[in-house]
Amino acid sequence: MVVVLGLIVLLLSLGMVGCRKQEAESAAEGPVVVKAMAYGDNSNQEGVNWVRIVETFEKENPDIDIDYEMLYDEAYHQKVVARLASGDVPDMAYMGADARWGAPWKEAGQQFDHTDLIDPDYYDFDLIPPMGPNGEIYEIPLGTSNITTVLYMNKNLVESLGFTEPQTYEDMVAMVPAAQAAGLEVVTIDGADGWAWGSCLMSAVIARMSGDPHWVSKAVEGENKFTDPEFVKSLDFIRQMVDDGVISEKSVLVDYGANISKFSNEKALFMVQGQWAAGGIENPDVSKNTLMLAWPELPGEKSATRGSVAAAIQVGYGLTKNGASDPAVRDAAMKFINYFYSEPETTQRLRDGAIVAPILKDYNVPDDLPEIVKQKVYLAQNAMNTDVIDAFLSGDPNDALNAGMQKIASGSATAEEIAEEVESLLRK
Amino acid sequence: MIYLGMIAPALCIYLFIVTYPVFYSIWLSFTDFNPNRGGNWNWIGLYQYKTMFQDPNFWHALKNNLIVVAVSVFGQIPIGFALAYILYRKLVRGANLFQTTVFLPHFLSTIVIGTMWKRLFQADGPISVLIQMISGDPTAQFDLMLYSETVMIPIGFALIWIYTGLYMIIFLANLQKINDNLIEVAKIDGASETQIFFRIIVPMLSGTILVSTVLAIAGSLRGFDLIFSITTQGLQRNNAMVLPIFMYQTAFQNYTNEMRFAYGAAISNAIVLISVILILFSNFISRKLQSGLEE
Repeated sequence: MVVVLGLIVLLLSLGMVGCRKQEAESAAEGPVVVKAMAYGDNSNQEGVNWVRIVETFEKENPDIDIDYEMLYDEAYHQKVVARLASGDVPDMAYMGADARWGAPWKEAGQQFDHTDLIDPDYYDFDLIPPMGPNGEIYEIPLGTSNITTVLYMNKNLVESLGFTEPQTYEDMVAMVPAAQAAGLEVVTIDGADGWAWGSCLMSAVIARMSGDPHWVSKAVEGENKFTDPEFVKSLDFIRQMVDDGVISEKSVLVDYGANISKFSNEKALFMVQGQWAAGGIENPDVSKNTLMLAWPELPGEKSATRGSVAAAIQVGYGLTKNGASDPAVRDAAMKFINYFYSEPETTQRLRDGAIVAPILKDYNVPDDLPEIVKQKVYLAQNAMNTDVIDAFLSGDPNDALNAGMQKIASGSATAEEIAEEVESLLRK
Repeated sequence: MIYLGMIAPALCIYLFIVTYPVFYSIWLSFTDFNPNRGGNWNWIGLYQYKTMFQDPNFWHALKNNLIVVAVSVFGQIPIGFALAYILYRKLVRGANLFQTTVFLPHFLSTIVIGTMWKRLFQADGPISVLIQMISGDPTAQFDLMLYSETVMIPIGFALIWIYTGLYMIIFLANLQKINDNLIEVAKIDGASETQIFFRIIVPMLSGTILVSTVLAIAGSLRGFDLIFSITTQGLQRNNAMVLPIFMYQTAFQNYTNEMRFAYGAAISNAIVLISVILILFSNFISRKLQSGLEE
């Protein structure tokens, strides 16, 4: 009995060794596996497009297997941190180069300079901004810079009240009585989301008030202080807008979805958001008649930054240092990335409103693009770009600033108090 | 030996996924190690705990957590008990409908519930409209979420709404195990409904009350999803911050702190320690009450 049992164990062991050997051989001959972290989900265009592109790519390239994990929003950020901490580093991922999207990769030492891998005949190097201290390119942006401080204007609604595109802030103040009489808000903002005040409003205001497009990055580096008069004045401007009736005090209770819904349903003349929100305006009549503007001249702004918009480096896909260390994986990943950024896919992204403008070399913008997309491209090509606050400021100081601006808007804190708090947290 | 061999696989899995992370977390909290950076680490003793006790956010989050514990222990459990008693004594018609209605929120995802309540609280949302109708002021808004002094009031309501049904079911199941003859005898002896409740029902369910209290305390201290989803990023979430959210923001989002994982580990260990203290305290109170009733 013992012998029979021993024999069975021996046979099973031999079988398993055989299987393992076969597996190892087939792995050596099998496709190159690229471990990827993708951004999106099954209910949004980004996720749907990713799945479709991967399936098509793998059919055309049976020697490459894109083994991906797709997550969206906060879940994505959590998983990036968890995977990096556990040492399960993907070869390729959706990443950025700033304080939010780039921080975990930078901290883990996984940023990789793609400069030598980027084909200059395929991508336009002039449209890819430097991301590292020595001009490194850590990811291939999906598009040109990501404008975060767009003032969306419902042209028909403004004109129906007898006004035209505002040239100055005072022009907007002049619209308040007529708008209120019509039961409309002048400017809607998703003020319940702390980041919206920083990314979509204050980033533009501080550049205008200081006349320095890089005031924020200089402040983070210590050249400027958040208690400097120009920043306090910028924070004060939030309260002024509320007092003037340009922004409603109840904005601090409006979240992202409600904000876009308000604008889309013609409850407000203007909306503050980033360029990405253009695709969320679902009412075709409103979308067709929407102008995407830089803020008009603000009271006390400096001429050097007049008409500017804040813009961050667009996120995109890139290799990690781990992925780049294996030549086979590196080449396979770059082949996929080039496929992912192909002209038809880029055009689709442009139409979906996911990007501002492509970074492909000699790309011709189609004539039949929706009006709102043309507006976006026009703004990207014409407005001066300035720093986005949370691209440089992160952690507790940024949280304090975001919550502080909400307090200023709701009247529970002053600009001086918030400026003092941010400065002290930053220098701690 | 055979016994050990049979439990070994499960024991190994348990040690790996439960025991190891617990000890790792304790070790991490005494170091400056950042797994994202890898490399060297130093033993820094109680530094993370000292930082935590000096951090006003910790005390703010702890205060909010204790409010959640109070809402659970003194809100959900008594209401759940009362509702179960109403059903048990058949003091209400349509008992099945009543029971289902109260228990229904427990079938929903906490994130869905949080999002739903967030919609109720938003500008010109249903609650604001109700306030506008009652006050006659068309600009009135429900703004309790904007202030740290008041933010836990609406959240407390949501917590009671979600979890009361669970305790009701627990109490009802235990009430149904009580021998009816006991109550009949008490009635024959002239006991009133109040006497039956306090002299028979409550003592017999003291074990269930204790278990429910332990569940409520443990659940309240690790509660993350509802408060995270009911608040928006920024002022509201800062106002309503509880220890798990504080830990999450510290460990996973605050890149300015190079020791963020170690600091986060210290916070999570503090959550466990506070839970144990509160549970021991409730155990102590329960024993005191029990001995008082027996005397």
